[in-house]
Amino acid sequence: MMVEMDILSTVSMYALLLIPIGIFIWLQLGLVKETILAAIRMTVQLVLVGLYLKYVFQLNNGFVNLVWVAVMMVAANVSVLGKSGLKRKLFFWRTLAGITVSTLIVSGWFILVAIRPDPFYDARYMVPIIGMILGNCQRSNVLSLERFYSGIRKNEHEFMTYLMLGATLKEAVAPYLRIALKSCINPSLASMATMGIVSLPGMMTGQILGGAMPMEAIKYQIGIMLCIFTSMVIAALVNILLSLPVAFDDYQRLKPEIFQ
Amino acid sequence: MIAFNNITIRVHKQPLLTDVDLHVQGGEKVVIRGPSGCGKSSLLKCAVGALPLTGGSVQFSGLTLSEKTVREVRSRIAFIGQEPVLGAENVRDALLLPFSYKAHRHTRPGDAHIFQTLENLKLNASILDQSTNRISGGEKQRIAIARALLLNKTVFFADEITSALDPESKQAVMDELFRPGITLLSVSHDPDWIQACNRIVEINEQQLIEVHP
Repeated sequence: MMVEMDILSTVSMYALLLIPIGIFIWLQLGLVKETILAAIRMTVQLVLVGLYLKYVFQLNNGFVNLVWVAVMMVAANVSVLGKSGLKRKLFFWRTLAGITVSTLIVSGWFILVAIRPDPFYDARYMVPIIGMILGNCQRSNVLSLERFYSGIRKNEHEFMTYLMLGATLKEAVAPYLRIALKSCINPSLASMATMGIVSLPGMMTGQILGGAMPMEAIKYQIGIMLCIFTSMVIAALVNILLSLPVAFDDYQRLKPEIFQ
Repeated sequence: MIAFNNITIRVHKQPLLTDVDLHVQGGEKVVIRGPSGCGKSSLLKCAVGALPLTGGSVQFSGLTLSEKTVREVRSRIAFIGQEPVLGAENVRDALLLPFSYKAHRHTRPGDAHIFQTLENLKLNASILDQSTNRISGGEKQRIAIARALLLNKTVFFADEITSALDPESKQAVMDELFRPGITLLSVSHDPDWIQACNRIVEINEQQLIEVHP
C-alpha cells in the first residue's frame, strides 16, 4: 500500500516554492505574484476536484461520469481558445467538436477495446484516462492553432501568392498546416522516444506508488502514450480543418477579426 | 478586357482612391505611378480580391469579381509583387509549385519548355537545382515571372518588378512582358518601363489621371 501523506507533509511541500521565488526575486523576473497565485489556484482547484471525484467515484454513475467528462472538455476548449489568441465566440463549437471527437475515439478504443472495465463507464478508469488524454490534447491544440493562424497572418503575402497561383484554400493553407502539426507533434515524438530513459512518466509513477506491479503500470503507460499521441494528431488536424470556414472570408482572405 | 468601375478603396479607414474608373483593353501596357502609399499596389490587389473593395466593381472580360468568380479571375492573372514569393526550397520546385495544385496538374510543362523560358529571361538552366535562399533578388524576380509564363498567363499585374534587376535582365523581362499578346497593368517608377508602356496613369489626390506620354 502507498505511504499516506498527512496534511502537514503536504503543506511542507510548499516550502520548496521558496527556492524559485528566491531566484525570481534575485533575477528580478517579476514572476513572484504569478507564482503564488498559480500555486493557490492549483491548490484550490485540486482540492475541489478531489472532493468532487470522491463523490463521482462513490456514485460511479454513467451519466454523472459523462457530465464530468463534458465539463473537462468544455474547460479544455475554453483554455485552448484563450491561449491560442483566437476569439472564443467564433470558434467555440468547432474546436469543441474537434477535441470531443479525437478524445472520444481514442479513449473509447483504450477503455472499450483494451482495458474493458466492468462497468465500461467505471469512473476509476474513465475519468483519469480521458483527463490525461484531454490535458495533452489541450497543449497540442494551443500550439497548432496558434502556429497555424499566426503563420498565415505573418506571411499573408506568401499565402495570397499561393492563391494567385491557382491554389484552393485547402492547398494554400497546406504549408502552414504542416508547420503547425509538426510544432505540436515533435515534442511528443521526442518525449515518446526518450520515455523510460530520460523521464519516468506520470501515470506509470502514480500506479507504482499506488501499489501496482511495474509491468502492469508499463502496459497502461504504453496504452496511454499511444492514445495521447493519436488524439493529439487527430484533434490538431480536425480543429484546424473545422475552423477554416470561420477564419477566411468568401475571397479566401484571413479575417483579421478572428484574433483576440 | 479589365474594367475598374467607380472604385473606392480605403485601407485602415484611410481613403486611397475615391470613385475612380480605369479601362484596360487586351494587349495594352498600362503603368500606374504616384507617390508612395497613394494606393497603386492596393488597386492591383483589390482587382484580384487580395484586398477588399470599399466601393465599385472590377470586371475581367465581362466576368465581375465576386466571391463566386474570384478563383476564375485569379486563374487568369499573373500577379508579381516587388518581393516575389517562391514558396519552395529549390528553384525547380518553385517553378513547378502551381502545377502541384488541382487547377494546373494537367498542364505541367516539360523540361524543354522550362529551359526555353529560363533562357528567355537570361537565366541558366543550372539554377533549377539551386536553393531559393541562395539566389539573388533579381533571380527570384525572374523565377516568379518564368513561373507565370509557364502557366501561359496573358494578363500580368506587375508591382515594381524591375527594382532588383540589372539592365540586361530588365530588358529580358521587358521583352517577354511587352509582347503584343500580353495585357500588362503595372506599377513602376522605372523610366525605361514607363516609356515602353502605351498608357500612363497617375494617382493624384485619390483620383486616377491619364497622362499622355
